Amino acid sequence: MKAGVDIGPTNTDAALLHDAGAVLATVKVASVPGDPVASVTAALGRLAAPPLVQVAVGLHGAASAVAGRRGLCRVAALRIGGQEAQAIRPLFGWPDDLRRAVEAGSAVVDGGGGLDRADWTPLDRDAVARFAASVAGRAQAVAVTGLFSPLDAEQEQEAAEIVRAELGDLPIALSADLGSLGLLERENATVLDAALSGFAADMAARLASALAPVTAVHVTRGDGTLMSLEHLARHPGLSLGSGPASMLRGAGALTGLADAVVADVGARRVRVGALAGGFPEEAVAGARIGGVPVGLRIPELVRVARPVEPAELAEAVDRMQPGAGRLPLVVVGGGAHAVPDGLHPEHATAAGAIGAATSPVGGQYERIVRLAGRADLPAAMEAVVEQARASAVRAGADPLHVRIVEAADTPLDYLPGPFVRLRARAAGPPARL
Amino acid sequence: MRIDTGSLPAYARGCAVLGSGGGGPVTIARAAALQALYDHGPVRVVQPGELDPELLVMPVGSAGSSAVMSERVGGTDEPVHLRRQIERRYGTPVGAVLASEIGGANGCLALAWAARLGLPLVDADGMSRAFPRMNQTVMELRGISATPAVMCDGRGRTVVIEHVDGRWLERLVRAALEPFGGQAATTEYVMRGHQVASATALGSVTRALRLGTELPAPLVSGKIAETGSIVIEGLGADLGRLVRIEAGTEFLAVLEDGAPLAVVPDVIALLDARTGEVVDTEHVRYGLRVSVVRVPCDPVWYTEEGLRLAGPEAFGLTGLAVPARGLPDTPSAPPAGPGAAPGAPRVRARSEAGGAPPASGGPRRPEAGEVAR
Repeated sequence: MKAGVDIGPTNTDAALLHDAGAVLATVKVASVPGDPVASVTAALGRLAAPPLVQVAVGLHGAASAVAGRRGLCRVAALRIGGQEAQAIRPLFGWPDDLRRAVEAGSAVVDGGGGLDRADWTPLDRDAVARFAASVAGRAQAVAVTGLFSPLDAEQEQEAAEIVRAELGDLPIALSADLGSLGLLERENATVLDAALSGFAADMAARLASALAPVTAVHVTRGDGTLMSLEHLARHPGLSLGSGPASMLRGAGALTGLADAVVADVGARRVRVGALAGGFPEEAVAGARIGGVPVGLRIPELVRVARPVEPAELAEAVDRMQPGAGRLPLVVVGGGAHAVPDGLHPEHATAAGAIGAATSPVGGQYERIVRLAGRADLPAAMEAVVEQARASAVRAGADPLHVRIVEAADTPLDYLPGPFVRLRARAAGPPARL
Repeated sequence: MRIDTGSLPAYARGCAVLGSGGGGPVTIARAAALQALYDHGPVRVVQPGELDPELLVMPVGSAGSSAVMSERVGGTDEPVHLRRQIERRYGTPVGAVLASEIGGANGCLALAWAARLGLPLVDADGMSRAFPRMNQTVMELRGISATPAVMCDGRGRTVVIEHVDGRWLERLVRAALEPFGGQAATTEYVMRGHQVASATALGSVTRALRLGTELPAPLVSGKIAETGSIVIEGLGADLGRLVRIEAGTEFLAVLEDGAPLAVVPDVIALLDARTGEVVDTEHVRYGLRVSVVRVPCDPVWYTEEGLRLAGPEAFGLTGLAVPARGLPDTPSAPPAGPGAAPGAPRVRARSEAGGAPPASGGPRRPEAGEVAR
């Protein structure tokens, strides 16, 4: 028996599912303002469940913490890139209030890479140590962003070691763990990840104690998978975008569709997204959190205000289609009745909770590599697949049952040279403890 | 006139429109310009007639991959390195900056670099839009020497190119781009003040500022129905119309029933109906609601020698009516042209020899199942 919980701003949904996935019961309770953990226990209490093996929770608190500028850590932002990456400073262009809430100093130190191995400049280790010393006592977390780290993350790790030696054990977020090429968006995501580390550690500890003796407690991620509470504490940014992601996953679970356009009808607005191969279609560009452009793997969404204007909704649905009328529309969420079109599966109002309960623990890994010929592809991909598998296990997946759900190679025609983006995603059931 | 942080958004949007779907996204360059204006104050915009006849005017821009620029956002000293080399060769100080290419990222970079150098920006540019090749400039048409030209990166690594014409400049710069990591800052076609009025596209900066707030009525509004060869289905008042757009690294032609509504050197801009943002060739995707706008280019590009360098045939488009400068901004009916006749030759876009990197087909959606294993 397993349960999923989805904490919304107004209501919290919970769903009880058989281990095989059948929905046994759903409930809806009013959310406890400002206390997500109390909302979870209230919803699970109403569910009157027998002893549970697993609970998966959609917290969604990370995005509201950023939006409300509440409970954020002060972050030292370190960029590695020297004179190749000075034209726009770290955190330049952020909304003033968010920047004031988050920034504990920033620096651009020499180092960083390029598309070719010969382009790399050695890391200025002394400058990293000086910067770390200069923020001691002020910074509660550190965000490290290296130029071209999606090709090689070594200098970010090297810098993190120096910072740790200087400042001791504090959260350090590395950009290569979070995003792809696009320095500023990746850096913004990394700074937000670091800023959320206090919130995440607090949530993880409180959820664990509130749900004890259930040990398999997981939270939802923006890519439509789950992660353990320990993983949340280390990588809080991964939970950004998790609300829409679990709603999309729930729509897939309730209809058995791997590919669909999904309209999530809330009280004030409709969010339209898409499922591709069972997971959310990701935003290619233009994702923003708290007024800041971020390069995170989160669902692409088109928002439509309520009351729903049918033509406007039809346009939003069409925009999320890969081609005219190719995919079915699934309508979920508390206000699903307001949209007559499309499939309306049973339990659709609790789609977020069901998506949380039915999603696997996941991990992914991405690297951009220069491949002289197709013959080199299998070996390069194998390394990426192994990293994805390891990432899923670190997030809490059962190492014996992790499988690769995606292994894609995408030629990057817009880069000069034979560059290919290799990306693998792995997923598996939660590890039994 | 000055450009400050307040007028920058309009200027950047105008530059994006003049990119005609290419020229690189303005996002990074606009942010770089914002920081430069914030750090160094507003940039004075001067008319060519205000320039001292002997004043050295330095055209600037970046060459190469805009995807590289999204990661390697650039330094603060590129224009300093370019200026040092130019001054060493001419023996006199550089007195003004000119955008090599107003369209796309380079219009914003020229503004950023003028701010960093503390120099005025001339109200003109080399192209009057974005073009893929460095020699597709008014300076080339007017016989200004392409060299000495300089390329450099943020660390000041520098290449100086001498004694070549525009075509050779293009060849040598493309060859040097790879060791530069795919992208570099450049200056070429350096001029004296008295040459600017006759050898550049005039009024480009004020035009970008104006287009940033005010655009001509669209040729058509609708949704992108196909992306391989771009097809736009008219919506609303344009319901029932079907328009095809030819594109390379820029949008090159808008055709309805085989007849051109706009053809390069016309600027062709797509605007997202939802956000108002300019959509470039790499972000064309199914379902986007767009309006298609035509902005006439500088008259010099509609002359015989202008068309030879940057007209439709220079982009591999054959069988199209030669665009006329007099095309109205908002044709009430599609103008009849030879292409409208039955059996008219099909318009084809060829890749250009020695041109810019090939346009990508935009972010590709993974097909279901294609990557599962």
